[in-house]
Amino acid sequence: MTKDEILERVIEIVRLYAKDDDAMEAISLETNILQDLKVNSARLVDVILAFEDEFDIEVEDEDADAVDTVGDAVELILAKVG
Amino acid sequence: MVFMLRFGLRYRIRNAAELRSRYRALVRESDGPVLICANHLTMIDSALVAWALGGSWWWVFNYRRMPWNLPEYNNFASHWFNRALAWIAKCLPIVRGGKRSEVSGVLKCIQHLLSKGETALIFAEGGRSRTGRIQLDSIADGVGRIISSVPGCQALCVYLRGDRQESWSTIPARGDSFYVDFELFEPNSEHSGLRRSRDFAVQVVEHLARMEERYFSQSGVTA
Repeated sequence: MTKDEILERVIEIVRLYAKDDDAMEAISLETNILQDLKVNSARLVDVILAFEDEFDIEVEDEDADAVDTVGDAVELILAKVG
Repeated sequence: MVFMLRFGLRYRIRNAAELRSRYRALVRESDGPVLICANHLTMIDSALVAWALGGSWWWVFNYRRMPWNLPEYNNFASHWFNRALAWIAKCLPIVRGGKRSEVSGVLKCIQHLLSKGETALIFAEGGRSRTGRIQLDSIADGVGRIISSVPGCQALCVYLRGDRQESWSTIPARGDSFYVDFELFEPNSEHSGLRRSRDFAVQVVEHLARMEERYFSQSGVTA
């Protein structure tokens, strides 16, 4: 799976939880999920659990700590799917 | 603090003697880490829970048993004097909704303290309930994370509510009388990783919701 394919699927998942439509339109690897997209911290866990389901991976609490931006999520998934 | 609650604000805990007796027995008999998980309606809930469970003098002579708290940083610890007071009152300020990596440091402190036999209190919903009822869709990540990472950790679910508390507020109404109940249980999960932590957190909040249902059915108030 390529990085672009992962990014595309990550964006579709994040879209379900984002509260800022303008930020969603301008989403990039640098977009901060909590601050820019206004996803609250409890919902961030739901987002990461959705990544688990979508990519058939398992994420540890410590792995999730590193996810601030869309790019962080893509890198985490890339590392997990190998 | 207790003086202010009892005489300044004229609060009263119903069945306080029985509650404290039950709590002390639980403390004596408990052989593992205990995380107190309470519902959250006012900004002084942690003080009320501590008062309800231990009284005042008992905490003086059992300071180690007094639970650590995780107050919102911006409410309690924005000034060095408040931070010093918070430390004495066993508070570890946390930025709610902050970056996971920053919150993680505080949660690791709590995990360490629990593993050393200390007790901690956390609000399972993360913040004060905006509906006045347990919010099943508002679950704090930290609760499950702590339970998941401390082997044998049990959750002591505490449901606290003033008779005149209809929704959330800064403090309860002056002269209010409080219903308090608690139940100990050990969450279980077949999952691992982040999903295990979430599973634990959901179980705690659902347990509190059942305690709330019981409160309303006993008090005759319709939901």
